[in-house]
Amino acid sequence: MLRPERMRRLLIAAPQGEIDTIIGELYRHNVYHIEDFVPESESAEALSIGHPLPGASDVASALNDVRAIESACGINPDSVEVKEKLPASKVSEMIRTDLPAILEEVKGLVATRSRLEARQKEREQRAKELEPFAAVPLDLDLYHGYTRFTVFTGHIARDVSVDVPHEKYFSDRVDGNMIVVVVQNEYREQVERTLLDAGFQAIPVPEGTGSPVDNQKVHLAEVQSASTEIAEVNREIARIRERHTDFLVACDELLTADVERAQAPLRFATTEETFITEGWVPDDRADRIRQALEKATNGRIYIEELEIDDAARVPVEYENPTVASPTQVLMDLYARPRYSELDPTLMVAFVFPIFFGLILGDVGYGAILLALSLGLRKFLKGDEGRMLLKVLSYASISSIVFGILYSEFFGFALPWDAMIYSRHLNIGTEVHGHGPQVVELMLLVIWIGILHITLGRILGMINARKLYHGKHATKALIANAGWLGTMWGILILIWSLFPMPMMPDLTGFPVAIAVGVVVLVAGVIGIAQENPLELVELPTIISHVLSYARLMAVGLSSVAIAMVINFIAIGLLIQPQLEAITPVGVILIIFGVLVLFMGHALNTALGLLGGGLHSLRLHYVEFFTKFYKGGGIKYNPFGMKSKFTEE
Amino acid sequence: MVDFGTAELTLEMIQASQLGMKAIGAGLAVGLTGIASGIAEMAIGSAAVGATAENRDVFGLVLLLTVIPETIVIFGLVVALLLLF
Repeated sequence: MLRPERMRRLLIAAPQGEIDTIIGELYRHNVYHIEDFVPESESAEALSIGHPLPGASDVASALNDVRAIESACGINPDSVEVKEKLPASKVSEMIRTDLPAILEEVKGLVATRSRLEARQKEREQRAKELEPFAAVPLDLDLYHGYTRFTVFTGHIARDVSVDVPHEKYFSDRVDGNMIVVVVQNEYREQVERTLLDAGFQAIPVPEGTGSPVDNQKVHLAEVQSASTEIAEVNREIARIRERHTDFLVACDELLTADVERAQAPLRFATTEETFITEGWVPDDRADRIRQALEKATNGRIYIEELEIDDAARVPVEYENPTVASPTQVLMDLYARPRYSELDPTLMVAFVFPIFFGLILGDVGYGAILLALSLGLRKFLKGDEGRMLLKVLSYASISSIVFGILYSEFFGFALPWDAMIYSRHLNIGTEVHGHGPQVVELMLLVIWIGILHITLGRILGMINARKLYHGKHATKALIANAGWLGTMWGILILIWSLFPMPMMPDLTGFPVAIAVGVVVLVAGVIGIAQENPLELVELPTIISHVLSYARLMAVGLSSVAIAMVINFIAIGLLIQPQLEAITPVGVILIIFGVLVLFMGHALNTALGLLGGGLHSLRLHYVEFFTKFYKGGGIKYNPFGMKSKFTEE
Repeated sequence: MVDFGTAELTLEMIQASQLGMKAIGAGLAVGLTGIASGIAEMAIGSAAVGATAENRDVFGLVLLLTVIPETIVIFGLVVALLLLF
């Protein structure tokens, strides 16, 4: 909680003979994050990158086959529901016996299909080439075979008159018109010029004999039969998918694991007789994996725990209570925390839904989003998607709670007055309570901003100690305190000069001005001692605090849109027609209902986008910039959670 | 047309015209800052789409960068709301 999981750095060395056992054991436990061995010039000369285990290339090619079948059949292992886990021994047996036959069959079908598709394309092309000629009542063999005549065939912009002895056919029934002119060879150039002047574009005469229309019919019939056959092949492939999906995804999983295991030595340092690997294991599981390895190799292994000298190299795994863990997806979107710094996931997990609710506080919209986030859970398979939906469901619950407090339901008022500040605008004729309390809301969110930023700076002071060493750490700590002091100095000055509602009134205490000035100046000096250039950033103190006004502003604009939709749909379209129903009135009522639904659907989407993005932005830009560095390496243990197979 | 030279200006008329001026000011505050946000987001958005096409992992980050200039229009909205209420 509030910091990444503690890791231990292990060095494992063992004779080459044990490499199989050790890789298998590490893979099974799925906790060891391998640090890849990179040969450096100063490393001992005898050390080199290991070789893949024997049989690696066979496994890899089998995996290739399985992937080829999967892609031909359109199977995506990520989206396959697990029905039952197949025993690994049975799957590897079937890989030997069944897989080649399935591969042969699929390969044959795919080849047939591509041959049919090629034929279909070719025939389609031929039929298309014949199209202009079908408009001319000439057989195809009449176009060639002359010695004394020239035949012009092609598209032309308009019909032309040829003033030499000729035979001519023109048709405007095809795209770009069609013209056929036959003249004696001696007039050829003259006629060609006449034709070109009219925008003539020659097209070659297709091969074949007989009438073009008949030819075209033959080709189209071929196209038809090819597509029937393709459909047949596709049905066949679908049948294979139906029958073998479970087996294929199990193969994929098993072989992927085999390939990963077989290639693991490429990440180890080896000598002739031994191998060495370095890696990371979570603190609480380190002892268990140590014992397991020692037991599996009968003690023919050397394991040493190394000291962590460079925190930047430690892989980072979150350690959060279940309720906060979906929020990790929002953290990863920005950057994973470094090993040595504070992990703010828990704070984001609580504050993000509150911000979302403050912006989109509406029982109706919240309920829609809650239903959406619960309903989509069935369709989204990926881990990240599911985490995002969980975050959304927390946010929409908060939205419902704030909707009850604001007394809002799709822009309408609920039967009670707003329990906190009202956001009801006077749009349309309905006026509820005392109208919107914009100023109060604004001061409320400014307070939230002040507190959120203060929290960020305090965390920055804590992080300075964790991230930097020696003098730099002290300087960073004082700079963070300086920023905090400057902000509060400005606040005290403002309070002592102007009385404001909901804020302390210090106008009666002249000493407050002095305190404000001292705190402000001390803060500025604190910032400048780390880096005087930072002083140009001073205006951000004000702009970042004011930026929290979006919690009110975006929310009010969403309320305004909802109310405008209600006013147009109900106030202007539906209600006047209900007094005396006429045929036109019924159409207007239907139109009004349409506006109501479309409008609220649009506003739900806008609210989700506005509420989500702006809450996130306040965290990323205004909150995280105060203390958070990020950029940790993702903890990626060697191993796999088997989904389709079991030992 | 009301001829302000001769017609008598009542208090109600002055109040109404002040209200109108406030509404115009609020409209200008939102409208102009909206245009400014749009111009600023234009460049960021196109760069963001390009970056996402190169590497899908940056989507979350660039989406966020794209909404950063939205602050301008939000300040405009805040000013407008303070003018009106």
